Amino acid sequence: MKHLSEEEQLDIYYEEGSDAAKAHLKGCRECSSEYAKFKRSLDAITPEAVPQRGPEYGDFVWQALRPQLIPYEKKAAGWRGWSWWKTATAAAACLALVTAAFIGGRYWEQRKSQPEVAGIAQPQQRVVVVVLTDHLDRTERLLVQLNHAGPGDRAENAQLQSEARELLASNRLYRVSASKEGDPALAGALDRLERVLVEVANDPQLTTADLDRVRQDMNTSGILFEVRVLLARKPNQESGPESAKGVKI
Amino acid sequence: MQGNDHSVVRAVLAGDKEAYGTLVRAHSAAVFRVAFRIAGNEADAEEIVQEAFLRAYQRLEKFEQRSTFGTWVYRIAVNCALNRVGEPGIEAEYRHGDESDPETKTVQVATQDADPERVLLGREVSAAQEMAMQRLTATEKCAFVLRHLEERSMGEIAEVLGVAPNAAKQAVFRAVQKLRRELAPLRGNA
Repeated sequence: MKHLSEEEQLDIYYEEGSDAAKAHLKGCRECSSEYAKFKRSLDAITPEAVPQRGPEYGDFVWQALRPQLIPYEKKAAGWRGWSWWKTATAAAACLALVTAAFIGGRYWEQRKSQPEVAGIAQPQQRVVVVVLTDHLDRTERLLVQLNHAGPGDRAENAQLQSEARELLASNRLYRVSASKEGDPALAGALDRLERVLVEVANDPQLTTADLDRVRQDMNTSGILFEVRVLLARKPNQESGPESAKGVKI
Repeated sequence: MQGNDHSVVRAVLAGDKEAYGTLVRAHSAAVFRVAFRIAGNEADAEEIVQEAFLRAYQRLEKFEQRSTFGTWVYRIAVNCALNRVGEPGIEAEYRHGDESDPETKTVQVATQDADPERVLLGREVSAAQEMAMQRLTATEKCAFVLRHLEERSMGEIAEVLGVAPNAAKQAVFRAVQKLRRELAPLRGNA
């Protein structure tokens, strides 16, 4: 049987011993005797009487210590601890920041508003495209009627002439706009179309012979082809900088 | 007290030097006690107290609010005492003569009766105990004082000495072994 070592006895003395060591100590007479001697020897080491220091001792220490201490620098206690010039500098900096933010905001707004204008122009252009397409559709129908007009039908010729007069004004407007926008294909086609419309609209007695002359002299079949090409042309396929159908008026 | 100490520390760090006096007055007695037990004399103990509070003031910005100021300055004082006791001059002063022969150190232990002869013997025992304490190394003495007289835990001792808990325990054990061996003659005649 293994008896308690001096280290284990020390642990028990300082109440840090294991349960096994304590149990052994209780059951082992030899270890109990040894531990009793061990305990007596340590109990005999009594603390030396510490000289008493009265309540004034703290003051004594402080008075001796005080001259040696350098005060810590005061830390700034928030904005109240700031001097006036620091406050003024901070206020000026804030003002400059706000001004810069305002100017920047305005500039940004202006920059941002430009795409918005373009955005507004986009639906407007879409409307123009629809109107021009409508004009070309009507023109196509008129040219088809003109190409297939039968002899002796005066009522039909009068309707054709009335339609030509209506289309003439808008066609002139589209032609001028197409010229300004730099779309020669559209401008040229509208110009040739305009001549046909002028002839038809201004003829005092539009007869079958007159229509035949117009058809032959002005090559209305060719103009009809041009109009159909223009109608088939997609907005992004224009020859000029902008769509033929989307020309500004 | 702890919360109060912390507010005082904050005041000192904010530039109020005088506030430190409150902390010195509150903790100087406890610091003196441990300093005296380690150093073994009043003069050194008082110097240790001064040094401990001065060091504490200089390092006050590093004081962590987790512990109390009392515990913190106590640890600083133990370190100051340890350095002082470990100084070669002081060690040499205490280690005068080689009295390793147990026969020459045999004395009689005083009983509870207070006759002059036994009072004299009691003084001899105290002197022998003090002498035995001074034979310990600085670390052993410090560890033993903190464990046996100041009743500090092994964890605290390890922290103060800056060693592992097992090393602190070994330091206490070595001190106990040496003291028992040194004081054995006294026990033999008890």
